[in-house]
Amino acid sequence: MKKIMLAAIAALALGGSAMAQETVRIATEGAYAPWNFLDESGKPAGYEIDLAGAICEKAGLTCEFIVNDWDSIIPNLLAGNYDAIMAGMSITEERLQTINFSDEYFPPDPSRYVALAGENINFEPLAGARIGVQGGTIQAAYAQANLATDNTVVSFSTADQAVADLSAGNLDTIFADGAYVDPIVSASNGAIEYTGPEIMIGEGMAIGLRKDETELTTKLNDAIVALKADGTVDSLIAKWFDGRGPYYSE
Amino acid sequence: MNDDIAFWLSYLTNGKHLAWYASFQFTIFAALMGGGLAVVFGLTGATLKNSRFLPLRLIGTIYSSIVRGVPDVLFFLFFPLAFEQAVEWVVASQICTPESIAAQTSAWPPCKEANWFLGTTEYLLLASVSLGLVYGAFATNVIHGALRSVPTGQLEAARAFGMSPGQVLWRIQIRQMWVYALPGLSNVWMLVVKATSLLSLLQIADIVLWADRLGAPNFLPAVGLVHEDWRWRYYLVLFVFYILVTWLSERAFEAITRRVGKGILSEARV
Repeated sequence: MKKIMLAAIAALALGGSAMAQETVRIATEGAYAPWNFLDESGKPAGYEIDLAGAICEKAGLTCEFIVNDWDSIIPNLLAGNYDAIMAGMSITEERLQTINFSDEYFPPDPSRYVALAGENINFEPLAGARIGVQGGTIQAAYAQANLATDNTVVSFSTADQAVADLSAGNLDTIFADGAYVDPIVSASNGAIEYTGPEIMIGEGMAIGLRKDETELTTKLNDAIVALKADGTVDSLIAKWFDGRGPYYSE
Repeated sequence: MNDDIAFWLSYLTNGKHLAWYASFQFTIFAALMGGGLAVVFGLTGATLKNSRFLPLRLIGTIYSSIVRGVPDVLFFLFFPLAFEQAVEWVVASQICTPESIAAQTSAWPPCKEANWFLGTTEYLLLASVSLGLVYGAFATNVIHGALRSVPTGQLEAARAFGMSPGQVLWRIQIRQMWVYALPGLSNVWMLVVKATSLLSLLQIADIVLWADRLGAPNFLPAVGLVHEDWRWRYYLVLFVFYILVTWLSERAFEAITRRVGKGILSEARV
C-alpha cells in the first residue's frame, strides 16, 4: 500500500516537472505599470508581457504568466513555483547571490524623488523627511543604507500605495524608478513634481532565473540578443515608455 | 445620468471585476472544506482524548493544546510549506539518482525531478487542510466537552443492552452529543469563516487580493480607469459579504440545532 502511494506521488511529481519543461512559467507583479499591470480584463499586460511574447516566440518556448506579490517573488522562484521573473527587477550584486539574471532588457535608469507641488525639500542634506519606497526594491536598499539615520523610510508593498500615501499628504517624498514615476508626474497635471537629485542605482532590468537553469538562460539570452539587434526591444520600449530610446539597435 | 449608470455597469463587469466575483468560490470552498475537516479532526481528537489507552489520550491532548496555541497565520504559512517539502523529500528518496543529485545546484529539492509545483488548486486544498487542522483543535475541545455531557445513564443502559464500546460511542454518545456541541461548533465555524481571509498569503488570488488590486490607485489611462486609492470601498464590500455569511450561518445553525435536538431528552434542549 505504502509503495503504491509513493509511486503515485512520484508519478504526479514527475508528470509535474515534465509539464514544466514544455511551458516556461514567468512570474510578474501585475502592479508596476507600464512594465506590468493587470488590464481591464484582469490579464497581465504591459512592456514585459509584450516582450516576453516576443522572446518566447523567438526561443520557441510556450510561456505563461503567473501573478505573484513582489515581496515573495524571489523566494517562490527558488521554491520552484515558476521558472522566471519579469517584474521590473534590476540586476544587483545582492540579488546575484541568490539568483541569476539574463541579459538586460531595460537599460539602467536613474531613480528619482517626487513630491507634491510646492513642497520645498532641502536635499543638502536630506533630513527629517518621511520617504516612501516600495519594500525590497533597489531604492529601498539605497534609502536604508544612506537615508535611514536622518529620515523615516516607509516601505510599501506596492509602488502605487506609496504614491497614494504621497497624494494623501502622509509622505514628504517618494524615491522610485524614474521610468515608473514619469507617467505619474505627467498625468498629475502639476500636482506631483520631480525634486532633488537623480541617483543612478541598479544595472538595468533583466529576467530573474534560478542558478541551475543554465539551458533556459542561454535560450532566453539568445532571443534577447536577437530582439535587441532587430529593433523589437527598442520599439517596445518606445511604445510603452513614451517614445524613449533607442537603446540597443544602431 | 443614463451614461453614468452604463459606465459603472460596464466598469463593474469588466474582466478584472468578474475575476474578483469568481474568486469568492475559493473563499467559500475553503470555508466549507476547512469547516468540514475541522469537525472530522475534532471528532478524531475528542475520541483520542477520551481513549482509555494512554498514548492515544496523549496524542489527543497534545494536538488540542498545542495547535490551539499556535497563531492561525503562522500555521497557515508553516503547514503547506512543511507538507510540500515533506512530499518532495519522500519523492526524492524514491526517484533521485546520484547523477541527478550531483546535477542539482540549488539547496532544495535534492534533485530537480523531485520538485513539486503547487498551483492554486493544490494551495487551496492545503489551505483547507490547514484550516481544518487549526480549528479542529478547537473543535476537539468542544466535542470532548460535549461527549462528557451525554448523561452517563444513557451509556450505562447501552452497555447493559450488550453494545460494544464502539457501538456505544457511535450510536449513543456521538449521536447525542451534537446538541451540546453545536453552540461551540458554531463559534468554531465563525472562526473558520474569518480565517478564509488569509488565503492570499498562499498566493491564491482570493477576494482580499482582488479587492487590494482593484482598489489600488491608478494613474495611467493605459491601465484602465484613473482613480485614487479606493481600497476602502472594496473592503467595505468584503465586510458586507462576511456579515451576510455570519447571518446565514446563524440561521443554518439554529435549524440544525432544532433538528438534532429532536427526540433527545436533556437539559440542553431548548
